[in-house]
This record gives sequence, structure tokens and C-alpha cells, in this order.
Amino acid sequence: MNQRQLYSLQGRLITLILAVVASVWLVTAAMTWFDARHELDELLDSHLAQAAALLVVQQAHEIDGDGEGVDAPSLHRYAPKVTFQVFHEGRLALRSANAPAVPLVERDKGFKTGFATVQIGGVTWRVFATHGGERDVQVYVGEQASSRASILWAVLRSTMWPIGLALPLLAIAVWWAVYQGVAPMRRLGRALAERPAQALHPVKLEGIASEMVPMVNALNGLFERIGTLLESERRFTADAAHELRTPIAAIRVQAQVALGEADDALRRGALQRTLDACDRATRLVEQLLTLARLEANATPTMAEIDLRALVQQVVAELAPKAIGKNQSLEFEATESCNLPGSEALLAVLARNLVDNALRYSPQFARVRVGVQQHSGRVVLIVEDSGPGLAEADARRLGERFFRVPGSSESGSGLGWSIVRRIAAVHQLEIEVDRSAELGGLAVRVSGRCGHQAV
Amino acid sequence: MRILLAEDDPLIGEGLRAGLRQLGFHVDWVRDGGAAERELRAHPYAAAVLDLGLPLKDGMEVLIEIRRAGNAVPVLVLTARDAVPDRIRGLDIGADDYVVKPVDLHELAARLRALIRRAHGQPQERLRINDVVLDPAARSVELEGDSVALSAREFDLLHVLMLNTDQVLSREQLEQHLYSWGQEVESNAIEVHIHNLRRKLGSALIRTVRGVGYILPRAPKK
Repeated sequence: MNQRQLYSLQGRLITLILAVVASVWLVTAAMTWFDARHELDELLDSHLAQAAALLVVQQAHEIDGDGEGVDAPSLHRYAPKVTFQVFHEGRLALRSANAPAVPLVERDKGFKTGFATVQIGGVTWRVFATHGGERDVQVYVGEQASSRASILWAVLRSTMWPIGLALPLLAIAVWWAVYQGVAPMRRLGRALAERPAQALHPVKLEGIASEMVPMVNALNGLFERIGTLLESERRFTADAAHELRTPIAAIRVQAQVALGEADDALRRGALQRTLDACDRATRLVEQLLTLARLEANATPTMAEIDLRALVQQVVAELAPKAIGKNQSLEFEATESCNLPGSEALLAVLARNLVDNALRYSPQFARVRVGVQQHSGRVVLIVEDSGPGLAEADARRLGERFFRVPGSSESGSGLGWSIVRRIAAVHQLEIEVDRSAELGGLAVRVSGRCGHQAV
Repeated sequence: MRILLAEDDPLIGEGLRAGLRQLGFHVDWVRDGGAAERELRAHPYAAAVLDLGLPLKDGMEVLIEIRRAGNAVPVLVLTARDAVPDRIRGLDIGADDYVVKPVDLHELAARLRALIRRAHGQPQERLRINDVVLDPAARSVELEGDSVALSAREFDLLHVLMLNTDQVLSREQLEQHLYSWGQEVESNAIEVHIHNLRRKLGSALIRTVRGVGYILPRAPKK
């Protein structure tokens, strides 16, 4: 894995949370700024208008004469921050000490009542202009814009600095919280790292977060599947090794007998039996390989199989064996439908069933193979007139390497495992019964029809 | 030496019977556990080779049954079950040896000889009484250092007597030791073999206990 492409979940969480908090903080600050400025402007502008109104009224009643321009006294050290001018019929009648002699707002385009922002001597003023009822009195009231800004800043400072101070603390708190929050993850990581490589027991679900449950469940599912697979592999290997011993023991013993035998006929007999034992070992290995391939769960290539033709072929292949044992082998098929499946596997299934019937039936026995169709299902029936099976033995059929006790035939004990496995792959049903007609074993394998035979 | 072979596999059973016969054993072969138990109870076998996976009755069960019945016949378990717990169990319930298939025929015979020897309290493979030395593996007998030619039956008879020194063995007992099933035994066969042994090894070696049987005394006679 590329280490550089990894990132820490914790780092990512902390970064995201802090970024969100900082953004919220900035937006709050901006909104406070705009809100406060708006309210402040409203309040102070109304004060300016109020002051102007007072001056207009006062001018109308008191300064009625043609008095010279009077400078109002500056009464407080804050006074320079505000200013006013009163003009009567174009002449300056009254002004504050810091007011210029010319109107605060240039009148080149005529007098206008209302607010204006002007620059006078490098200082920005907010000015309200108005006039009296007869338009002869004009009043200007101004206020330094900087005082507004300082109020605004003061408001902003007082609301923002506690949050600003809290941010580093918040960062630490967030770090701690996230650290605690991802603790179950770290624990799981540690627990997984500490597991022995071969351990397949499930990871415990206690103490993990609900978000991690699907992950851990998936992991446990994987462990279980691997465990089952390994177990079946182990059992298979053990069984196979165990079963291979028998034919090998037979080969060895017969070969040694042949070596030690002085009589020519007896030696030839022992050598012939050595070959028989070799054949048996070969068959066992073939069966094991078939089973191993089936167990490997490779999905077979499915096609529409004409079971009648396939079984007929198998019966034809095994006919010489039946003749060799003086057995009668019959095949009869009614109309049959196609069965979806793998041709090779279904042939193995049919061959095993017919071969078993021949193998475990005595000389002169009858073996009947049939393919029929009943209500949408195609059925393969293999019946014989052999000894049949005790119920207990019938139940154990299909257990790997189970061989019916007392049978003198040297089977591998794998045929039924293979049959059952192939049936499972094809979703076929198997019934083992006593043949009503022939008296021996009757095996019925049935499956749902695919498309109708053409 | 007459031994019982319990083995259900036809090829192995056939081979073991033929092979052990070549090596001087008389072999009775049974194919299931029930027959094995019956035969072991009915006849005095020198030893038994027992497969575990027997039909009708598992080899282990057979072993348990005959041991419970007080039968001390040496039993060699010959099986494909190689797991250590199986071996331990087999030995614990009364097997004298546990051999995993496939086995070398000569090794199997040697193990059987060792079992038989130990069952008779003989520490050595070669049996010695006075001047007579019997080598079961080589199937040879020496008298005062010189090899003596014996027939197979004579050798077997001497072997049985030397394994059971100081015990009187009846003619029937000797016959059971010497002949496996189906072998026709002439009524005076044992007498004939005893006579031949006395002729070849000296008349004082084997004594007749009139009306009972024969004895090979261990104590050196004057």
C-alpha cells in the first residue's frame, strides 16, 4: 500500500470541524458588522436630523435679526467630533467652533435636504442638511464618520474577542473529542493487528461503533467462509491421504508376494492383483480429483442437456462391464425434456450411479436404467436386483469414503459424495429407495425441465 | 505359527495371507469383526493382525471384547488410521502393536514374531534349549552348532514346543497351533512329526506325558 496516499481520519475530522467553526465565526462577524452599522447609522442619522430640526426651530424664533455669524462655544472635548452651521438668507448665522464658513455641502447644484458624506480637510463627515419653513434658513449638522467606525469596531470587538479567544481552546477540545470518537476504530485496528495470522475466529462486536458493525460483520463473514473452506480442505486432504493408503498397501503387499513367490502361476496371480490394486488407486485418484474440482466450486458451464442421449451413452460405455459380470443392463426412456446442466458433470453422475449398481450387484443381476418425465420434471432412475441397502447404511451414503460394510467390491467410497455434489450444483433431488420391481436399490434423480427438447 | 488375519479389503487380505504364508505363518483370514471375535475366542492363535475398519464390528470393539474375555493373544493392529489419538487409543485398549498401512511384509512378519516371542516371555529372537537353537526369522535350527534340516511342520512343531517350554501340550492343542482351517490333519500326524524331531535332535529333548501330551522341559537333564 502506498503510505503517502493514506490520510488520518482524525486529522481530517479535526480540520473539517475547525474549518466549519472558523467559517461560522467569520460569517457571524460579518453579519454583526453589517447589522450594527445599519442600526448605528439609523440611530445617529436620526440624532443628526433631530439636532438639525432643533436648530431650524431655534433659528426661526430667536435669531430673527441680521446678526453676524456667531460661533457657538465648544463645551466638551468631544465637541470637535460634531459640527453645525446655520445660514440665514445665504449668510452664515451660527456655527460651531470647528465649522468652516462655507456650507459643509457644496451648493453648486442647488440646495438639497438630506444626508451626505463629504470630505473636509481630509476628514470624512456625515452631514444632514435641512431648511426652515420659508427656505431662508438653512441648517447643516455634521458628525465625523470616524466616530461611527470606532463605535462599530468597539461593538465588533466586544462580541468577537471571546470567540476568538475560544477558538484555540475549541481546537484542543475538538481534537480531544475526535480522538475519543475514533477510539473504537483504533481499538479495532489494534485488535486486528494483534490477531495471529492464522486466527479465523470472529472479531467481537462488543465495544464497537454501530457504523463499524457492517464492516466487522463483513470481516467476520469472510473469516467464516475462509474457515469453512480451510476446514473442508483439511478434511479432504486427511481423508484422501487416509484412503490412498489402502490401495497402496494392497499394491505393496501383492508386489512383495509376487517377489517372494517361487511358483510361477501363483506369482502371475499376485502380479495380476498388483495391477488390480493399481487400477483401484487410479480410480480413487480420479474420483478424488473430480470431487476436488467440484468442491472448488467452479461454476460449470451450463447448457440444455438431453438427458436421454447422455444416459444412453453412459449405459453403452458400461455395457461391457455388465457383460463381464453376466449382468443384464437395460435402458429405457420415455419422452424426456432437456435438463439445464453441465454435460460432463451429468455424465459423471450417471456413470457413478450405473457403475455402483453394477459393482454392488452380484452376477446375473438385473440393472435397469430409465429416463422419464413427470409433471415438468425429468427423472433418472437406476434400479438393480442387488442386495439393496440397510436403512442405516442408506443414511450414510454420501459421507465421504463411507463404504457399505461387508461389500467385497473395492470402491473408493467417493462415488456418492460426487453424485451428491453434482446434484447439489444442478439443484437435483435424489431419492434412495428399494426397487419395487427388482428388489434391490432404486435411485431416483430428478430435476426441473429446462426448455422442451427440440 | 498360526495367526488370524482380520481384513475386509480383498486385495490386501489376499496379499497378506499369501505373503505371511510365504514367511512361514499359517494364516486364517476373516473379513469382518464378528468372525474375527468368534475365531479368536475359539482357537488359540499365536497372534492376530486386526484391521480397524471392519464391517459388522469395528476392530477396536473386537479388541475390547476379547480383552474383556481375558484373551491375551498378541494383537497387531494394522490400519490406515494414522492419527496419534487413534494409535494411543488402540494401544491403550489392548493392542500390542500398531502399524499404519502400507506396511512392508517382512516388517509385519518380524513384528509378529516379536509379539509372539514376547508373549512367551522370550527376550531374544533366537530360542535356545540346551544345545538346540531355533531361529524363527531364518526358520533354521541348529544342534550343537550344526544346521539341522527340518520340514516346515517339524519346524513349526518345535517352535511351538520351544515357546511353551515346561508346559504339557495336548495333541489337539498342537494341531490347532500347526494347522489353519481346512487343512486335513491325519490322526497320527503329530506323533510322526515328534518321532522325526526326536530322530533328528535326540530322543531326550521332547518327553511324552502319557495320556496327556508332550512337554519340552527347560531344565538341563543329566
